[in-house]
Amino acid sequence: MAETLHTLSAAELGRRLTAGALTSRALCEALIARYDVLNEKVGAFTHLDRANVLAQADASDARRQAGQGRGPLEGIPVAIKDNIAVKGQPLTCSSKMLASLVSPYDSHVAERLRAAGAILYGRLNMDEFAMGSSTENSAVRKTFNPWDLTRIPGGSSGGSAAALAAGLVPLSLGSDTGGSIRQPASHCGVVGLKPTYGLVSRFGLVAFASSLDQIGPMARSVEDCELLLAALASADARDMTCFSSDERALTAAGEAKKLRIGIPKGFLGKGVAPEVAAAVNAAIEFYRAQGCAVSEVELPSADLAVPTYYVVATAEASSNLGRYDGVRYGHRSAQASTPVEMMTNSRSEGFGAEVKRRILLGTFVLSAGYADAYYNRALRARAKIRAEYLAALSQVDVLLTPTVPTPAFKVGEKAADPLQLYLEDIFTIPANLAGLPALSVPCGQSGHLPVGFHLVGAPLSEAKLLAAGRLFEAAHGFAHQQAAL
Amino acid sequence: MAEGFDIDHLAKLSRLSLTPEEKALYSSQLNSIIGHFQALAQADLPTSIDDARVVRESALRSDVPGPSLGAEAVTRIAPASRDGQISVPRVVDDEA
Repeated sequence: MAETLHTLSAAELGRRLTAGALTSRALCEALIARYDVLNEKVGAFTHLDRANVLAQADASDARRQAGQGRGPLEGIPVAIKDNIAVKGQPLTCSSKMLASLVSPYDSHVAERLRAAGAILYGRLNMDEFAMGSSTENSAVRKTFNPWDLTRIPGGSSGGSAAALAAGLVPLSLGSDTGGSIRQPASHCGVVGLKPTYGLVSRFGLVAFASSLDQIGPMARSVEDCELLLAALASADARDMTCFSSDERALTAAGEAKKLRIGIPKGFLGKGVAPEVAAAVNAAIEFYRAQGCAVSEVELPSADLAVPTYYVVATAEASSNLGRYDGVRYGHRSAQASTPVEMMTNSRSEGFGAEVKRRILLGTFVLSAGYADAYYNRALRARAKIRAEYLAALSQVDVLLTPTVPTPAFKVGEKAADPLQLYLEDIFTIPANLAGLPALSVPCGQSGHLPVGFHLVGAPLSEAKLLAAGRLFEAAHGFAHQQAAL
Repeated sequence: MAEGFDIDHLAKLSRLSLTPEEKALYSSQLNSIIGHFQALAQADLPTSIDDARVVRESALRSDVPGPSLGAEAVTRIAPASRDGQISVPRVVDDEA
């Protein structure tokens, strides 16, 4: 059985664990054996503490034996992006700046996973400080798309998506500031959800752009994604942007076949690869055939989303990354005799090219004489985009678009042109700007490369998105798909 | 709007030291990206940013001390420490 465990969903693994047909130790040993064969090839993980994983698995098995199992995630491994704190494990953000940092505390989501009995399984590669769409900006290693090892897995949660597609783990956590869960999910043929801003606590998530960042679940099926979300979402007084218990009333799913689906005008046109448009159009026709009301909606300011995002996100990043000064933690330059030299040299040596580029850009848009023209105008554009999305979502239940305009590109293909790379996020960015939940679901292939569609809903409408995803998934063969490696 | 863009000034504000090659590269890339931002300059935008707030109005907690990491945990992750405190290069010159 061990050789097929990696193909099973978290829900099925949970059933077998509950039935006593499987132990967490046997599951973890099988996954570690697979890691030993494949991780060098795929590069999804940056760290795996085998002894720690097996100790957690033994503790889980003991709880279950004693009748003290903690629920559906008991004994199930969840791999974690390397910008989410787990006590005693590395927290490098795939940056030289934090290469030697071991987290002294647990993030809120790590606490929640421990309380649910899950196994905190390894650290996943990412673009440095979550800045990028290809995981090429990692200072640790490259991650390759399991469907084609010459291509990028997407980013910044590239390790989280590649680990799932390679069958290295059944569940993973990513973080999403402009599409960093959904875009790699689409490129790797897995499911990724960015929750409503405030649904999941950011306590213990290394900050990139605080008004946009959210932690979210990734899995090989919508059902598994939902299972993980249920464990993550809870009130947390340590993140004051996190909804309190009485504010987090999720909208009921309703009947998926009665959902009203909006197709934003023009989103399937210019810049979208024909195979991507065909796969997404087929998904639209599927929903129509199921009885969903499909209509076109207007989002006239959609073209402003990318510039607005890159002003707001870099402004917040330039402020958030000011904390890396070589004083309290992280890299400190050996070449410094004054505090200012120490800060400047530590930052110059510790940060990679994309992080420096975004700090410079964010510093520019906030600087005297330019803040009104850039940052303040971007906030006004953000208000307009959010208002348009909320207006559209008062007419329909969900908006459906491609997740990414084109399939995964070759490693190195866009490395020299950051602007081209920024345009990868054109469909995913608005949900972050407007604080809305959004889900990417696999819906086809372009050649041998996966394609996903993207659903956006009103605040706290996760159940509707997931119900729509499940309806599609049940009728197609893309759930639980893995690359042949 | 990109005129007045001064890479040396930005690097200084950012506490980054850039090589001549980096300065040339970032200047060119930032100019291209900032060019893309011009769409914002030409857009008809609302004057209020209230709708941009995805963060709740009440997102400030009381200023009350709570549990935190102890000195031992903090100095363990610091680049340099001595006698339970973080050490840094001399800030105040004896001669001054």
